[in-house]
Amino acid sequence: MRDRTLGRVVANEPLGSMVRLSVRVPGWRAAVAGQFALLQAEPSRCFLGRAVSVSDQRGERVCFLIAPVGDGTRELCSLAQGSSLWVLGPLGRGFGISALARNSGRTVIVAGGVGVAPFPLLVRQMAEGYGALAAQVLVLLGFRDSVQSLAADPVREAVAASEGLGLRCRLEVAVEDGSRGPAEKVTDLLERHLMPGDRLAVCGPDVMAAAVWRVCSRTDGVQAWFSLEAKMACGVGSCHGCAIELADGSAARVCHEGPVFCGREVFGD
Amino acid sequence: MTDLAVRLGPLRLEHPLINASGTMEIFELAEALGPQIVEQPPVAAYVSKTVTLDPRLGNPGPRILETVGGLINAIGLPGPGLATFLEYELPRLLMLPCPVIISVGGFSTDEYVTLARGLRDSLGRTVDGDWSERVGLELNISCPNVHSGCAAIGADPGETERVVAAVRKIWPGLLVAKLTPNVADIAAVGRAAATGGADAIAAVNTYKGLVIDRETLRPYLGNVTGGLSGPAIRPLALRAVYDLFPAVEVPIIGMGGVATAQDVVDFISCGATVVAVGCSVFREPCLAGRLAGELLSALEARGFSLETLLGVAHAPL
Repeated sequence: MRDRTLGRVVANEPLGSMVRLSVRVPGWRAAVAGQFALLQAEPSRCFLGRAVSVSDQRGERVCFLIAPVGDGTRELCSLAQGSSLWVLGPLGRGFGISALARNSGRTVIVAGGVGVAPFPLLVRQMAEGYGALAAQVLVLLGFRDSVQSLAADPVREAVAASEGLGLRCRLEVAVEDGSRGPAEKVTDLLERHLMPGDRLAVCGPDVMAAAVWRVCSRTDGVQAWFSLEAKMACGVGSCHGCAIELADGSAARVCHEGPVFCGREVFGD
Repeated sequence: MTDLAVRLGPLRLEHPLINASGTMEIFELAEALGPQIVEQPPVAAYVSKTVTLDPRLGNPGPRILETVGGLINAIGLPGPGLATFLEYELPRLLMLPCPVIISVGGFSTDEYVTLARGLRDSLGRTVDGDWSERVGLELNISCPNVHSGCAAIGADPGETERVVAAVRKIWPGLLVAKLTPNVADIAAVGRAAATGGADAIAAVNTYKGLVIDRETLRPYLGNVTGGLSGPAIRPLALRAVYDLFPAVEVPIIGMGGVATAQDVVDFISCGATVVAVGCSVFREPCLAGRLAGELLSALEARGFSLETLLGVAHAPL
């Protein structure tokens, strides 16, 4: 029976303030971009695993981009090569790649900070599925400062690799403190580039997500899907701890009905 | 070979490990982890999330926070309400290959009776023959995260006896009373539940607690208070089971921080016939099945059977 699996760290690469953890997970089932796993160092001082987005995968080698924000994520970020950790996943509902890549218009990826995590995998899955159709993808990333912006590297690698598969993919990065070009936010980039009919995949802080939705709602025919973050306990829909209230007043578990939600479900019309 | 099968009223369980209500949505788990979990559940009986009469959204967030050795929650019994439960959830629960125990929670004696009657009538209509060997009822009179009824009933022996007796009159199957530990004398409440006609006592629900948001210095949970669970409460829960064992003749379902096979042995030693795993399944969904296997080895290693281990902590050394 599938349960949590003991994985082993094959690489721990610091990327500015974050860490890209590559883990060999025996029996890993391929994730869809936007899905996550619960990760817990073994041994751990924490009781529960932490929900971390799958950033990339090749067979049983799975990458996670982690920002050290609390005890659990700090522990994960400090895992050296060869260390063990428990992995439960992939979990949740990821991005609908076929909906994002419908054969007219363009896909726009919008990410802020550690919200960049799922997008190396999304770019690769779009290239593998839709590169031959020369699908068009615009990647817009926003970071607080130049140190944080080093987390763009995995997406940059995925964008470069996607060209060989025919994907027409372009990347722009906004850095808020002006340390790399003009001081601007990812929503400034979006305002400049958004076109009617674009389809968005969004992940980032709540404030950014709400601002992205406001920009979208001013443009015709835009569809947007948001990957949300929440504190979770079980990650599988059991505990109802991560539930949010949707625009229609109903409740949804970020771990089970999400973490990817249609913008209209979350923000309303 | 040691036999792990136990009886809980009319239910026969293949082993003593079940789940605590509200910690395992087995069909959601099947979506996440594959269908094997419903084909061969890791639990010997499946306990549902608490069903309420009316639909409930639950408490405002945040609802959950990890604490030292466990977690605190204030979920607030969200759910679709009895009618939807009976129509959509009960039929698939009845397809599980193990007994199911339906947890119900109410805000008055009448509500508990209405819930039990609704379930009984629905089972009578949909199940051919006697369902009492397959389905039990657990009265959640102990949720700390709703503001009336429920734990207010379970905090009072008189109220507890009244609710249990009222349900007993109309519920022919296994009847479990789940107790709150947030009382001065849990044995008195257990005795009242048994007097009212409970076939088993489940102990304990969570310990009422509070955590502070370290940025705002205000209560963190949307509900202000919550219920603490996990290994941190295990000695407290063991003490509750230890106190209940000499007080009641009915079997006890012990729970509180169970994470290892040794923890299961501890609970059985104190007097639990059945042991439930709670929030530790959030780390390891199939924990109950693993612990059942390890319990067998633990019993054999110590030369105990379930019968000889039960309540051994009360005997002089």
